[in-house]
Amino acid sequence: MSTHAPESTKPWTKPRGTELTTKVIARPKRDFEVQAYLPAVAKGLAQTMSTFFRNTKEMVLGQKSDPVLEGFSDGVTTLQYPEEKRPYPERFRGLHRLTIRDDGSPRCVACLCCSTACPAQCIHIEAGEYDEESGRHGYERYPVRFVIDELRCIFCGFCVEACPCDAIRMDTGMHAVPYDSREQFIYERDLLMAMTGRDGSRKTANPRHEPGDPSHPGLDREHAH
Amino acid sequence: MTAQAPQGEATKPPNIIRIDGREIPFEPGDTIIKAAHRAGIDIPHYCWHPGLSVAANCRMCLVELPPPAGRPAMRLDVLRWDPEKQDYVPDSKPKLQPSCQQQCAPGMDVLSESSENVAKARAAVQELLLLNHPVDCPICDQAGECRLQDYWLQHQRSGKRMKQEVVHKPKALSFGPTIVYDAERCIVCTRCVRFSEEVAKDPVLSVRERGNLNEITVSPGRELDHDYTLMTEHVCPVGALTSKDFRFKARVWFLRSARTVCQGCSTGCNAFLDFDPRNNTPYRHRPRENAEVNQYWMCDEGMLSYKRAVEGRITSALVGGAKVSLEDALAEAKSVFAKLESKKARVAVVLSAQHSLEDNFALYTLAKSFIGAESFFVTGKPLGKGDDILMSEDKNPNTAGVLQLAADTPPKPMSELIAKADAFDYVIALGSDVEVEAAELIAALRGKKVLVVASHQGPLAKVANVLLPATVWAECDGTFVNKQGLAQVSERALAPRGDAQPGWKLVAQLGRSLGFATEWKRLSEIRRAMAPEPTRAPSAPDAQEARP
Repeated sequence: MSTHAPESTKPWTKPRGTELTTKVIARPKRDFEVQAYLPAVAKGLAQTMSTFFRNTKEMVLGQKSDPVLEGFSDGVTTLQYPEEKRPYPERFRGLHRLTIRDDGSPRCVACLCCSTACPAQCIHIEAGEYDEESGRHGYERYPVRFVIDELRCIFCGFCVEACPCDAIRMDTGMHAVPYDSREQFIYERDLLMAMTGRDGSRKTANPRHEPGDPSHPGLDREHAH
Repeated sequence: MTAQAPQGEATKPPNIIRIDGREIPFEPGDTIIKAAHRAGIDIPHYCWHPGLSVAANCRMCLVELPPPAGRPAMRLDVLRWDPEKQDYVPDSKPKLQPSCQQQCAPGMDVLSESSENVAKARAAVQELLLLNHPVDCPICDQAGECRLQDYWLQHQRSGKRMKQEVVHKPKALSFGPTIVYDAERCIVCTRCVRFSEEVAKDPVLSVRERGNLNEITVSPGRELDHDYTLMTEHVCPVGALTSKDFRFKARVWFLRSARTVCQGCSTGCNAFLDFDPRNNTPYRHRPRENAEVNQYWMCDEGMLSYKRAVEGRITSALVGGAKVSLEDALAEAKSVFAKLESKKARVAVVLSAQHSLEDNFALYTLAKSFIGAESFFVTGKPLGKGDDILMSEDKNPNTAGVLQLAADTPPKPMSELIAKADAFDYVIALGSDVEVEAAELIAALRGKKVLVVASHQGPLAKVANVLLPATVWAECDGTFVNKQGLAQVSERALAPRGDAQPGWKLVAQLGRSLGFATEWKRLSEIRRAMAPEPTRAPSAPDAQEARP
């Protein structure tokens, strides 16, 4: 350590080298009344009792309603959660689900638009290709893995907005359940596909002509030209 | 025009054309698009490619050429819809020219962005090309780098008016071991056809049918299986050809590119290594334009060689086959190789044509200047397939660099080390590939004290008493000298895996633990030590943006 510091340098505790501004606060009075304790207790009790008598007087004279009796009347605001739940708005964003088609396959085509849009980067998808025999071969791909980390998710709904296939929805009406380990918040594809919307359906109300469906034109060089 | 009139008689007018009023020089024989491309002006195009012949079939590069003063303009008679009369009325419009086919002439005026007729024509061409397109961008690997997407935004921005069902064609057709074809996405620009014929010299692709039924087809009885198949995917401006290797693996907008040099052979093709920084994984190689080396191309072997950045790696130091920390391995090296300079005649030093000039320089300097070793050898991968296009038989990226570096003590091949194995007790080697039989090498080096700095598993790594984990080319900056003698810099893309460190850093640490002053700790320090070796910076940074 240096033994000699130049006098011009001020200690670093003073910000910007300016003098510290101070304010002197007076200590509580320690007079006889405070030190003797009992007079102060009597003062406090007097305050309490005067309020008690005032309230009682107002109640007896009917100047104010009785909060105890009020509790027995209708219009209680306490809900017995979780047995009772408040109705949620129609567009409440709950846990995700993956919608399915009539044959049980996922509608998702693993385009990664949702994971691109996701600001929390909580969606991981690995894409796969349908078999050569499948009618969807060449038209679509499907998610081999589809993982959502519900702990990371901020429930913004961007994934739902981004999805071109109406394959991911947040209409389950469910909260994330308080699990006891982090792994349980990692929702895999099959769990997401098993979840239903609030109407109890695993499909979507917006069907469309899918390649491979009977309703799809399914034209090709041999059949159309 | 009037400004040029006085000099027009006496001297030849300068080789300059004006695109939208901007003066651009051209070389005799240039087409408009070529001169514009060189000057950095982007005229939209699908079928034109600077490395291929001109097809002029996509009609996207149409430009307006006002006639010279006093000459009538070429016009086309058309029928124009008149909303007031509710009928078509006769009209005319200027005849536009494809700029990929039109030769430049001195003083020529070209209207590209500034012409309303051109803008209309481009929007119409774009609508026509998208007429039967499936618009399946969400599942298309090209999405994000697709011309149809880019030009739709730049030149069309309207929906298509056709209400009929689109023409359906074969989808996900396997063309060969590497390529999948989707005819619905194809705009039949014939880039792939021309590439196979002109560059790969294997005319295996052609076009069948006409009009909106046409599609690319492989010759009967053949597959698309020459050595440059992945280039057909690379030149495809849309998602019609996709690579089986890259298919569905990643979306391109998640990838970042590093300017690297291909490690597949001694040609040293300039490449982009595309990787995802989030999971530190390489996904593909793309050729990087370099007129002196690979023009616009790369071979399949090189395109797929990006996998070597992760496959067969050594990620931790080994002593006698057991994983140890780097410090322990260096301590072991110190005890085994102590007082090496007193036994310098018994030391064999093996340089590697697989490793960068920096790595080899570090080992060569340590061995020659500090230890005083006299016996140098060079090793690398054995000879492979070569051709007249790009592939070299020498499958090592830095053979010329090593020979150049160790010119004072010409390194001998590994076979001589095996023949004279009894003369040596100590072997310090770089790299793990050898061009000789692995069993011979293992037998010859049995009982010797071997230290190897290597990035991949291999015969040399197997016989090493002390093995230090080096990074691959993708994980550190390095210089590689190709067979033409060009020293090219390859940039770092990925973070090193495991305990791997650049080879020169390991050699420097080894030197320091043996008590030598190998004080290179940063890349700039070893580069300065290597000077006056001139190193070429990677080609212009905007090369990544400009697409052929």
